[in-house]
Amino acid sequence: MKPARSRPYRIASHLILIVLAALSLYPFLFMLMTSFKSNEQFYHGYFTPAWPLHWGNYAEAWGQIAVYFGNSISITLISVLAGLLIAALAAWAFARYSFPGSGFLYGAILVVLLIPGVLTLIPAFVVLRDLGLMGTHGALYAVYVTESLILGIVVLKSFFSALPEELVEAAALDGAAETQVVARIAVPLTKPAFLTVAIMNTLFCWNDYIWPLILLPDTRLWTVTQGLVSFRDRYAGMAAWGPLFAGFVIASVPLFLLFFSSMRSFLSGLTSGALKA
Amino acid sequence: MKERQAPRGLPAPMKTRRVRFASPQMVLCLIQVAPALAALAVFRYFPVLSAVWHSFFNWNGFDEGRFTGMANYGELFSDPVMGTASLNILAYVVIRVALNLVFPLLAALLIHHLGSSRAAYPYKALFTVPLVVPTMVVLLVWKFIYNPHDGILNRFLSFLGAGALARDWLGDFGTAIYAVSGLGFPWVTGIGISGFGMLLYLAALQGIPSELYDACAVDGVSGARRLFRLELPLIARQLYLVALLTVINTLQTYVPVMVLTSGGPGTASMVPGLYLYLTAFSYDRFGYACAIGVVMAAVLAALAAFQSRLNARAESAT
Repeated sequence: MKPARSRPYRIASHLILIVLAALSLYPFLFMLMTSFKSNEQFYHGYFTPAWPLHWGNYAEAWGQIAVYFGNSISITLISVLAGLLIAALAAWAFARYSFPGSGFLYGAILVVLLIPGVLTLIPAFVVLRDLGLMGTHGALYAVYVTESLILGIVVLKSFFSALPEELVEAAALDGAAETQVVARIAVPLTKPAFLTVAIMNTLFCWNDYIWPLILLPDTRLWTVTQGLVSFRDRYAGMAAWGPLFAGFVIASVPLFLLFFSSMRSFLSGLTSGALKA
Repeated sequence: MKERQAPRGLPAPMKTRRVRFASPQMVLCLIQVAPALAALAVFRYFPVLSAVWHSFFNWNGFDEGRFTGMANYGELFSDPVMGTASLNILAYVVIRVALNLVFPLLAALLIHHLGSSRAAYPYKALFTVPLVVPTMVVLLVWKFIYNPHDGILNRFLSFLGAGALARDWLGDFGTAIYAVSGLGFPWVTGIGISGFGMLLYLAALQGIPSELYDACAVDGVSGARRLFRLELPLIARQLYLVALLTVINTLQTYVPVMVLTSGGPGTASMVPGLYLYLTAFSYDRFGYACAIGVVMAAVLAALAAFQSRLNARAESAT
């Protein structure tokens, strides 16, 4: 850091920053305000909040998107956990052992970072369809777990490799089986890495739009992104803005809870994950 | 852990153990990496080969397809929609890079010059909030902002007495692609994964040793000169990184276009990624779509090669 600037300068900076922050957040505040408005309130006090609050908007929106919301929750949870498990298995082997071919295989995983998604979209869709996964959530598990592996293996391997040798060695000398070393020492000590990977994958699963769109013809299996789009099309068509924005707010809740429960790892995860991806 | 062993310095990192060929341990290792490699083989390596192979075929995604040689590529380079899409994505990338560099940097500089990390914290938190809103919600909110009748933009323009400027931003041939690529005002926080530029710049600025600022003060270097001589050179890596990530991500992007305009009106806001999607899933031309994907991948690979040459040159220069 450096010496602070003069007082007028700082006040001017604060003012500009407050205006920028207000402008950045206004669309979302507008969403929150409008989610509580009846249509009459919407057209009379467009830019400002209005009372009484119409909680009914939330009931109506929930009735429309609850199914998609539930699908997204279960798909995200299963994919993130399965992805972590598979990545951790591979990462531990790569971190602790140098076996014939390990360098080549690790290189083969890193190379995947260079493959752009637009190149594999079409053939991967055909593969999933030919495997009979089309129209099932299994297709999404396959896509999301695969997507999570590269970052997961790279991050977990680097954290495992940095574990203190003495600790791992001591546990092994005490006769602990390798699975116990991993479960009782390696995983607890690398929790931040697991959290980072989990956060990145959660964002990916919750935000993905394209895979459910091409893989799930049955609307009852849709995730929250598809659900929101079709919900918007109907409600914007009716100009029913209150329930529409209530739906947007509901869809934002899980990521907000995740964010506020783990702000620190969230921020570091976001930056480090983005750098690796 | 680390504190307890501090007197002896950091603990030595875990050693890797050599495993001999065909030993039980090697089998165990292979079993551990097998699920990951199998998934990557089926959903990454094979699709790459399949995409390249089928780009030479007239293929509907179901049958074997019919070999047509370079026909798909020939068509691609004379396809007017692809021409529009390429020009659009060029504008999209330039706009997005500029937005991701300028506005987050401006905010980072202002926050940094407040002079204390306690003052910086609330702004860091506030500017992070938009990153946490699901991408689809951001896109749909912006679709509403651009709505010709009830949208915030036109309402605000008429509120200012500039109602004459109001228009159907997403439905207008002249504005559609700019409305999509320019969304996110005031652009301090970007959308999705490349939206964290401000945090990155701020961390780099806060890492500049205060001695350097003292030296500037002694030499009477301040304001714009200090910005260009000291601060920008020292965060050049971060600026470069954000620019690079933005280019790579934006070149492939199509969901914002899909959601906001579907490429319309007509093909006015078409981008290559969306054209690829439509070619396959609306027109059943999977072979042609693969060719589009291969060309896009080639452009990205060329950029990556160019970038690593730049990196090598920068490293040999220092």
